[in-house]
This record gives sequence, structure tokens and C-alpha cells, in this order.
Amino acid sequence: MSNVLINKVVKSYGRLEVVHGIDLDIAPQEFVVLVGPSGCGKSTTLRMIAGLEEITDGTISIDDRVVNRVAPKDRDVAMVFQNYALYPHLNVADNIAFGLRIRKESKEHIAESVKEVGEILGLTPYLDRRPANLSGGQRQRVAMGRAIVRRPKVFLFDEPLSNLDAKLRTQMRAEIKRLHKRLGATSVYVTHDQVEAMTLADRIVVMNGGIIEQIGTPMELFMNPANTFVAGFIGSPPMNQLRGNVHKTADGTKVKVHDVLFDLPGSLAVEEGQEVVVGVRPEHMALTASADSFEIPISLDLVEPLGSEALLHASIGEEPIIIKAETHGDIAHLSGVSKVYAPASLVKVFDAKTGLAINEQASS
Amino acid sequence: MSDTQDKQHGHVVETTKRKRSVKHKLTWLYDHVRNEWQIYLMLLPTVVWMILFLYKPMYGLQIAFKDYSIFRGVAASPWVGWEHFQTLFDNDQFIRAIGNTIKISALNLIFGFPAPIILALMFNEVLHAVYKRTAQTIVYLPHFISTVIIAGIVTTAFSPTAGVVNTIMGWFGLDSIYFLTRPEWFRPIFVGTGIWQEAGFGSIVFLAAIAGVNPSLYESAVVDGASRWQMMWKITIPSILPTIIIMLIIRIGNIMEVSFELIILLYQPATWSTADVVNTFVYRQGLQSGQYDVAAAAGLFNAVVAFVLVMTANTLSRRYSRTSLW
Repeated sequence: MSNVLINKVVKSYGRLEVVHGIDLDIAPQEFVVLVGPSGCGKSTTLRMIAGLEEITDGTISIDDRVVNRVAPKDRDVAMVFQNYALYPHLNVADNIAFGLRIRKESKEHIAESVKEVGEILGLTPYLDRRPANLSGGQRQRVAMGRAIVRRPKVFLFDEPLSNLDAKLRTQMRAEIKRLHKRLGATSVYVTHDQVEAMTLADRIVVMNGGIIEQIGTPMELFMNPANTFVAGFIGSPPMNQLRGNVHKTADGTKVKVHDVLFDLPGSLAVEEGQEVVVGVRPEHMALTASADSFEIPISLDLVEPLGSEALLHASIGEEPIIIKAETHGDIAHLSGVSKVYAPASLVKVFDAKTGLAINEQASS
Repeated sequence: MSDTQDKQHGHVVETTKRKRSVKHKLTWLYDHVRNEWQIYLMLLPTVVWMILFLYKPMYGLQIAFKDYSIFRGVAASPWVGWEHFQTLFDNDQFIRAIGNTIKISALNLIFGFPAPIILALMFNEVLHAVYKRTAQTIVYLPHFISTVIIAGIVTTAFSPTAGVVNTIMGWFGLDSIYFLTRPEWFRPIFVGTGIWQEAGFGSIVFLAAIAGVNPSLYESAVVDGASRWQMMWKITIPSILPTIIIMLIIRIGNIMEVSFELIILLYQPATWSTADVVNTFVYRQGLQSGQYDVAAAAGLFNAVVAFVLVMTANTLSRRYSRTSLW
């Protein structure tokens, strides 16, 4: 299996630069998800890896070979498209076999490969059907079948689940993950859905405005976002971000948000009065106190039941805040909540001007 | 209740239901027209045009079965049954005209129908935008030139003395030919002129169909390793096949309608043996010889054949390709 190396890659359309010199090293067999809002350059990056877009500057290497000037067919990649890109005039078997036929593989090999892929993806009963007679999920499986049948070095997925309904998306997500485990191929997956990114990725690359904001494992990004953008993008609901000022007291350094003092973890490189953004994840707050937690008085506006959990929409002064609380089968006890508790160790602090995370200073 | 009473009761119920249904439909139509009167107003000119120029003339079709005289009028002219059709089929010139119509139409179908498709496929492969636009404009232009001028250009081009074709032939030491007086050259010149005049404009429909093909299909094929040639055969042509079939059905419906004006302008008695078609025969019989009834019979025969052809083509297409005009 192959590695993919993106080195200072720039993409411009005329004078408009849309990808601003990104670097990314994807290890063999790794499943990397590029995530970000619309127009952040993630699909363009994927298409540059596929060879469907020319690279303005920098290099892309697959298997230690620079492929900037290599035709897509010679890069040994396969791509699954957002709208499936199935040939409407061909049946499922012919759609899967298309790439092999183009490459003039033997009839026996094609028949064997189509049969195998049909079995892997549960498409055997539908091999003689045309795409118009398939459901969305089946079409998506055919699109994946077309990709895996060639056994390429690298799989590229361009928002493959965005046309499916929520239930089918969850099901297909699990299938893609199982397929990756089975085939062990290097995969680059583009999505704007952070849940897809979290569940599928070995590593997530968060992109915004043509640059990479952060690269890390799903849990790294969730627990230690590098900036306010990542903090707001990863997690559902996103991390609460509250503006406040640093107050150094005898009890330690705190941040005052409206009239509430937030405890901070360890020793942070902050100055008295510095304007910062405090980040607390909705799921890190609780209705009961724990060893290192501090109290946050809130003004509750609304309770949104989700089943086993509920979202408490509240505010601290003018600052809105969301808390995720367990319902234990009933939400009556949540309607009177007036204070919550957050552990200081899980509070994140960001510079209000740059948006960058302020990390704990290394102890001497 | 007896059986008779049952039947009578059933009949009354059925009639009442039908009356209600008609009343309901009329009420719905009245409400719809009142609410959407602007749309009906826009529809009106087309409806009037169709009534005046397509349906009203059908009244005149009956003269094909009458001994028509313009002095007696249509209604007062006596019925003669199939006599005019008998006359037509006893006329060698009419039989020859049918044969010529079929031969010219067949040549048009074989060479003229694929031409705009090939042109559209070629335009689709041109990547340079300015070159593509220029080439398209050049091939669209002949469509906008009057048929009389087209005929003039053709006559000049194939002239035995100053024509460009004979001039070029002269460069290669070939004797000059007076093409437009030679029956064997009429059909190639006519079909070629038709292609030159209409292929470019006809390609617009196919270019529009090609523009509607999902670009991801090509991108996916590129990643799979398909060449442009393979993409044309395996993606473009199958994707525009429904449009090709629809256009073919329409073409078959017009198979008896060869370009009448161009033939009138290009043919002469010397080339009638290969150039005279049903429409030119109708023109000569009706307008030049004043035999309106015989001409109407020939025109009706033409229309019936075209109707049968288009129905057959549509049915076959629906059965075998799942694409049809209706």
C-alpha cells in the first residue's frame, strides 16, 4: 500500500488562489478525512491527488513518485464521486467492470473480479439491474464497487454519502469502515460532515479558506483543538466559546465571563486582563459537582430532549451556552437547572485576537 | 326488482354519474381558466394558428375524393370515391416520384441524419473555446441563408464554365461536367447541399444533449483510464442515444417531405427522372395543371405514409429502446 505526500501545494484559478500551500503526509493504509466548510479547498485537494485538477505549485507524490505530470489513469488511484457517476446505460456488472474493460483485462479476470466485488458489497442480486432501478444506498455501493475492483493504490472519496438520508448514511459509513479494514488501502475521504470525519478517520485534516487548520486523530481534535475554528467545527453541538478576561487571584488564574469565574487548568501563559475565549464542550459539563469542577450559574432558556440525552440551551449574561445532560428517561428534573459544573482540566483557553489555543506551560 | 328494472336503474345511475363527471370537469375548466387566464391568453395565438393553418385545411382534404371544380366549390363537387388514387397509381410519373422520394429520403437518412451527430461529437472534442465558437458559427451560417440563395450558390459552384468544382477538376486534367443536367448527379448534389445547409444547425440539439451529460461520468472514466475516443463511444453516444432516437422518429415522420423548394429550384426536365418527388409532382399537378383533386389525393397519400411511418418508428423505438416521442 502507498503513501501520499502533499508538499506545499497551491491551486489557483487565474488570479484566484484557493489552496494556499498545504502540506500533508498520508501513511500507507491510513484513512485520512479532509473536513471543512464549503469552499475550503478540500475537494480541490482531492481532485489534485486524482489528477483531475492541475497543481499550480508544489508537489504531490504517490508511493514516493511525484505525480504532478502523471495522467490520472497512471496514478493508480480510484475515486468515488458525490453523485456516484454511474453509467446509466450500463447495468451494475458492466458499471463495475468498466475500468477493467478500459484497461483491456481478460474476460475471465473481469467476470471473477465483478463476482467477488458483488459478494463483498452485497450486490450479487442486483448485477443485471441498471442504476435507475437501484436505491441510493445500492448505487453508492456500486460506485464503491467500481473503485475497489481495480485494487488501486489509493482510494479517493469525494463526499460519497452526502446524497443519502441520515439512516442510510450511518449504515454506509459503517460499511466504508469495514471495507477499509478488509482492504487496508490508503484512503483520502472528503466530507463537510464532522460526524463522518470523526467516525471514519485515522486522522482528520481540518481545512478552512484553503489552508489546513489542524491535523490529528479524531480525539486529539476533539480534546485539544488548535484554534477556535477547529473547536467550533469538531463536535456536535460545537464547543461553547465564551469571551472573558484573565483574572489572577490567590486561588489561581481564572477567566471572568460576565460575572462567572472559570477555573483554568494548570499554568497558562496568560496575562492579567488579557482578553481570551474560554472553550467548554457541552458534554464536559455536568449537573453535579466533581473533584476538580467549578460552579457555573446559568439562566436556562430551553430544554431539547434527544432521548437518552438533552440539550440545555442557557446563557451566562449575554453569552449563550449549551450543556449536554443525561435524561435518565425523564426531562422534568432538567427544567429547574440553574447551575452546572465544569472540570477545570477540560476547559480550553484561546487567544481572543488570534483564535489560537493557549496551552499549558511546561513545568520546569 | 326484476332484471329489466335493475338494468334500467343501472343505466340511470351511470348516466347521472357521467353527467356529474362532465359538469365537474366543466366547472374545473371554468375555474382554471378564470384563475390562470394569463396562461390561456398566451396559448391563444398558437391555438388560433393551429386551427387556421393545420385543422381548417383538413376540410379541403375531401377534394381528393371528389371531382373538384373551383367554380362548384368543395361542398357542391360530386364524390368520385378512389378514382383519383386510381389515376395516380396508373401514372408512371407518380410511381417514379414515390420511388425518387424514397431514394432521396433514404440517402438523407443515411448521410444527412448522422452528419449533425458527428459534427456535435467533433465540436465536443474541441477544447479551444475561441476556435470552437468560430467553427460553430461558420457551420451554423448556411442555415440562415435563403433557399433561393443556396440554390444559386450550388448552381454557380457546379457550373460547367466558371464553377469552382469544375475548376478544381480541371486542375487534375478532368473534363468538365454539367452536373445539374445529369440525372445521376442530382441526388448526391441535393443530399450534399442539405447536409451543408442544415448539419451545423441540426448539431445544436445534440450539443445540448451532450452538455446535459453528467461531467462526473467523464471524470470517473478519466480516472479509470479511458481515452477521449473511448469516452465518446462508451459515455457520450450512449448518453445522447435517447435524443438521437427522438430526432430519428421525427426525421422518419418527415421522410416524405424532402426539401421541396430546393428541388424546385435545382431540378429541370433533364433531371426529373431522379429529382421529381411526390411534392414536386403535387405542385405541378395542382398549381401548374390545375388538377387540384388529383394533387390533393397525392398529398393525402404522402401524409398517410408519413403518419404510418412515424407511428411504426415510435412503436418500435418504445418497444426496443424504451425511448419514444409519446
